[in-house]
Amino acid sequence: MADELQRSALVAKLTRPVAGLMATTYRWVDERLGVTDLVHQLLYEAVPKRGAWAYSLGSATLILIVLQITTGMFLLWTYVPSTTEAWQSLNFIEYHDEFAAIVRGMHLWGAYVLFVVIGMHMVRTFVSGSYKKPRELNWIIGVVLFLLVLGLGITGAMLPWDQAAYWTATVVTHVVSYLPIFGTQVQEILRGGPQMGPATLTRFFAIHIWLLPALLVPMIGLHLILLRRHGEHGSWVNYEGVEEETEAERAKRMANAEAPYPALPSDPGYAVPMDLDEFFPSQVFKDAVVSFGLVLLIFVMAVVIGAPLERAANPAALNYVPTPEWFFLPLDQLLVQFPQAWMIPVGVFIIPGIGTTLLMLVPFLDRTPGRQPWRRPEVMVPALFVVLFLVFEALLAVNRLFNL
Amino acid sequence: MSIAQKRISRRKFMILAINAAGAGAGLLIAAPIVGSILSPIFYKSKYPWVMVADIQHVPVGVPTAYVVMVDQGGDSWQVPKVPRTVYVVKLNLINQVQLIALSNVCTHMQCDVHWDINLNVFFCPCHGGEYSMDGTNIAGPPPQPLFRYQHKLVGNTLFIRNVLVGGS
Repeated sequence: MADELQRSALVAKLTRPVAGLMATTYRWVDERLGVTDLVHQLLYEAVPKRGAWAYSLGSATLILIVLQITTGMFLLWTYVPSTTEAWQSLNFIEYHDEFAAIVRGMHLWGAYVLFVVIGMHMVRTFVSGSYKKPRELNWIIGVVLFLLVLGLGITGAMLPWDQAAYWTATVVTHVVSYLPIFGTQVQEILRGGPQMGPATLTRFFAIHIWLLPALLVPMIGLHLILLRRHGEHGSWVNYEGVEEETEAERAKRMANAEAPYPALPSDPGYAVPMDLDEFFPSQVFKDAVVSFGLVLLIFVMAVVIGAPLERAANPAALNYVPTPEWFFLPLDQLLVQFPQAWMIPVGVFIIPGIGTTLLMLVPFLDRTPGRQPWRRPEVMVPALFVVLFLVFEALLAVNRLFNL
Repeated sequence: MSIAQKRISRRKFMILAINAAGAGAGLLIAAPIVGSILSPIFYKSKYPWVMVADIQHVPVGVPTAYVVMVDQGGDSWQVPKVPRTVYVVKLNLINQVQLIALSNVCTHMQCDVHWDINLNVFFCPCHGGEYSMDGTNIAGPPPQPLFRYQHKLVGNTLFIRNVLVGGS
C-alpha cells in the first residue's frame, strides 16, 4: 500500500484539474471508498519495459470479451430464443433496424477477432516460456478460458436458427451421442428429447448467455489476480542476457526491482526483468492503441459485411451443405478421417482430448531450463508441428467443402 | 470439563453445523436442478401416424422424396409442426415389391442426405458418406445404415410415424 507521502502525491495528481468543492468531494468519497488506494493498486504497477506491445494482446482479449458481453446484452433487446421466432426476430433487425444489425455484426466479428487475438496471446505466452514457474496454474486457467470461449463460439452459432445454426446444432448435439455408455442420454439432455426440438434452442441459449459466461467471468478474475501476483514473468525479450550476467549485474537488477517482482524469488535469474516501466500510462497507452484498432476493425466489418443470416431452419432440407465455423474446421476434417464405428469417437473425443490435455500440461512437460524459444527446441519444434497440422487439416476441410 | 475444552467443542460444533447447513442447502438446490437436467431421458413421447403418399405414384427403383409435417414427437412443449423428408423406396425383389420409408438424416453426424441420380447413391455432403438404395452404408464415415420410419399401408396410402428404427 502507498505510504502517506506517495498517497498525498497521488491524491494531488488525481484531483489536479479540480479544486475547491470538487476536491473536497473527492476527499470525502475517498475517505469512505478508498478510491486512491484502488487506483494506486490498479494503475501504478511495475511492468517490463520491453515486449510491451506483445503484452497488449492479453488486455485486448479482455476488452474484446467485454465487447461481446456488451453487444450480447443488447442483442437480447430483439432476439427471441424460440424455434418459431428466433429467425424472425433476427430477420427483422437485418432489414428494419440498421443499428441492431450493426450490433449483431459487431457481436459476430468481435467473436472472430477474439479467436485470433486469444490465439496470438497463447502463442506469445508459449514462445516466451511465460508459463514456467511460478505461473503454471495461470497457463492452465488460460487454456480453460480458451475452451470456454470456443464453447461460447459454437453455442452462439446455433442461436439464429437459420439453416447454418440448425445444422450446426444438429451435428454438435449428435457428436455427443458417440460418448461411450451415456452418449444417447447426454444427447437427449442437450436436445430436450431424442430429436432436435424447441427445447434444444432454449438450452443452448441458456448455455450461451448464462452458463458459460458465469464460468468465464470469475476465471478471468482469477487469471488477472494471478497475473498481478506474479508479474509479467518471463518473456525472453525481458531477460535477454540473464544467463550471461555477472553476480554484480544481477544484484543491481534485483535492487531496482519493484513489486511484485521481488516477491517470488523462486527463479532468481528471471524474477525481475532487465528494465521496468509503469503500467500507467506506458502499458495502458499501448493497450489502448491496440484495443482501439481492433474495435475499429470490428465496427468496420460489422458495417461493411455484417452478420449473415441464411434461410430459416428447414429440418427437411435435401441439398443443404452445412459448413462449420472456420475455427472448427480442423475438427470437422477429423470427422472425415476417422470414419465408421469405433473410429468416430477416436476422431471426435480421443484426439482432441489428448491435444487439449497436452496443451494444459505444457508447463509440466517443458523441463527445459531457459525461456528463450531458441533454447527450447524440444518444445518449440513439436508445437510448430501441431500448429502446422491444424492449419493443414483446416486447408483439407476447406478444399473438401468447396469442391463439392 | 474445563472451559477451554468446552470452547473447543462448541467451536467444533459450529464448524460442523456450517458444513452441514452448506451441504444441506446445496443438496436441496441441486436435487431439483439435476432432476430437471436429466428429465428429457424419461419423457414419454407420442408419435401419431402421418399420411405420406399414394404408393401407386412411387416409381420402382427410384427413391422419391416426400416432405411430411411431423410433431416434435411430443418430447417437449408443442410448437407448430416441422417438415421432415421421407424417402419412399420401392425395391423390386424377386417375387414382390418391398416398400421402405427412409429418413434422410445421415447416421454419421445427422446432416441431410439426398439421392444422387448420377451416382445412384444417397450422398451426404458434410463428410462424404454414401448409402445404397435400401439405405445400406457403403462408403465414407457413416457407422450404420440410414434409419427407417415406421410405416403402414392403408389401402394404397402410405403412413409413417416419427419413430426411427435401424435399417437393413
